[in-house]
Amino acid sequence: MTHDELLDAFPGVRVDQDNAAYYRGLLEERVVVNRCDDCASWHHPARSACPRCWSRSLTPTAVAGTGTIVLLTVLHQGSRKEGADFNVGHPLVAVELDEQPGLRLGGTVLGADPATLQLGERVRVVVRRLEGRGPRVDFERMS
Amino acid sequence: MSPSRRNPARDQVAIVGLGRSPYGRDRVGCTPGSLVLDAAIAAARDAGVGAADIDGLCGSTVATAYVQAALGIGRVSWFANPASVIGNQIVAAVAAVHSGMCETALVYHNAYRMPFASRSAGRDPMRRRAMLGLAETRSAWGTGHAESGANSMFGANAYAAWAGRYLHDYGYGRDTLGLVAINSRTNAGRNDNAVYRDPLTMQDYLAGRMVRDPLSVYDMDIPVDAADAFIITTTERARDLAQPPVLIHAASLGSTDYGIEEQLLDLNHAGQVVVAERLWAKSELELADVDVFYPYEGFSNIALSWFENVGYCGRGEGGAFVRQHWVEDQQRILIDGRIPVNTHGGSLSEGGTQGAGHLYEACLQLRGAAGIRQVPGASVALVTPGGYYFNSQGFLLRRDG
Ligand SMILES: [Zn+2]
Repeated sequence: MTHDELLDAFPGVRVDQDNAAYYRGLLEERVVVNRCDDCASWHHPARSACPRCWSRSLTPTAVAGTGTIVLLTVLHQGSRKEGADFNVGHPLVAVELDEQPGLRLGGTVLGADPATLQLGERVRVVVRRLEGRGPRVDFERMS
Repeated sequence: MSPSRRNPARDQVAIVGLGRSPYGRDRVGCTPGSLVLDAAIAAARDAGVGAADIDGLCGSTVATAYVQAALGIGRVSWFANPASVIGNQIVAAVAAVHSGMCETALVYHNAYRMPFASRSAGRDPMRRRAMLGLAETRSAWGTGHAESGANSMFGANAYAAWAGRYLHDYGYGRDTLGLVAINSRTNAGRNDNAVYRDPLTMQDYLAGRMVRDPLSVYDMDIPVDAADAFIITTTERARDLAQPPVLIHAASLGSTDYGIEEQLLDLNHAGQVVVAERLWAKSELELADVDVFYPYEGFSNIALSWFENVGYCGRGEGGAFVRQHWVEDQQRILIDGRIPVNTHGGSLSEGGTQGAGHLYEACLQLRGAAGIRQVPGASVALVTPGGYYFNSQGFLLRRDG
């Protein structure tokens, strides 16, 4: 896939040489996170050096996609263009992936009554295709 | 590594001019540039300096080149537009003055209601073009933020999520955040520059429209058109000018390797922690010397963290501390019955200028020029603008002599 094709698949997203693998992964419905070849630590968002050991040898590697909600808010206001239901409340979470403490992804939780969501809940990644925006990471409850 | 105690600029640089463009929610006919010029002219006149005396410029989003040309400031030997407000501008100017890059610096910041900020702003056709020529805010950060919107932990969304985490972890209800909002509103009642001055009760607060759970309309700063400006020069020169100098005793910025908002490991890794460590290490003053305290509260939870980080209480105890020092018959915080907090009404009630209003008010208090809200004998102010990530900053200011 060419850079032009990748950029066309993600209008409005700052796709660059450092994070291209993450977005290419999303097109294959996989979550691919930078992992260090030297010290095995993960980091996100993708950058060109390992923040732990400064190695430049990194491999975008698929994660299991399971984790725990560590941050949670419910949005009651936003642009109509977002396609979210702000009347009911649109949940927004940060999920700590099982691979490493502090390794987190953000997104909404699909199909969940926002009033029942709690910190500490287990969720799994869902790669969701959005009209006109390209696929993105969101979550669903595991139980 | 323990924080460095070096502070060669201690008390050597002063704020000697204050100027502002009045804060407003419904101002018409102003531009970011005109607001800055209002404040800049007022600050220079306040200090008793003219264009020929200013040889340094430091601002936020309005380019120094614009201000220099607009005010006919013929020659400057130092100028900068650092990103985060207002600490970066002040710290840069202190360094520039102390090192001799310039002698007298004009420092400024403005806020401008963008069309998405409010309905009235959205109806102004010229504001709809106000973004023209500005980089898309998110991409301009270059921090790794690649997406924005309702599915991203960014800016206000992330502050709301951290507020939720705080209430959850330490067992507080929303009324804890409410005390911060009510304190600001009560103090704003004595400030003509404040955009919201009507009293706010806890009942009103709890009934406020929920925006980003747990933050309601009362927990988030008020969009305003406004500007503040400061004249900064050597303490020696300041003593010959028109106003009593406010000495910059210690100043620090603080940042950690947080990445983006949701990657911040916990509140022990916020930039505020770095600010407090460094500020106290380089100061000859102690917390007990502080007479007035200005913790930023652009989101109400930020202020609770500042109480903790500057040392009034431990992690998670900010909510309990505020309640313990709440004076019910005054509807505001008085630490130990003595030290008022955000005497001007803060970003939640005076208006959101990202901490510039906090700094301005601290200077007024130390000059003894705060009118009906003057704190008798105020001689040391602790000002802590900024939140958790990229803009944490602190200042210890004191009256000269
Ligand atoms: Zn490594």
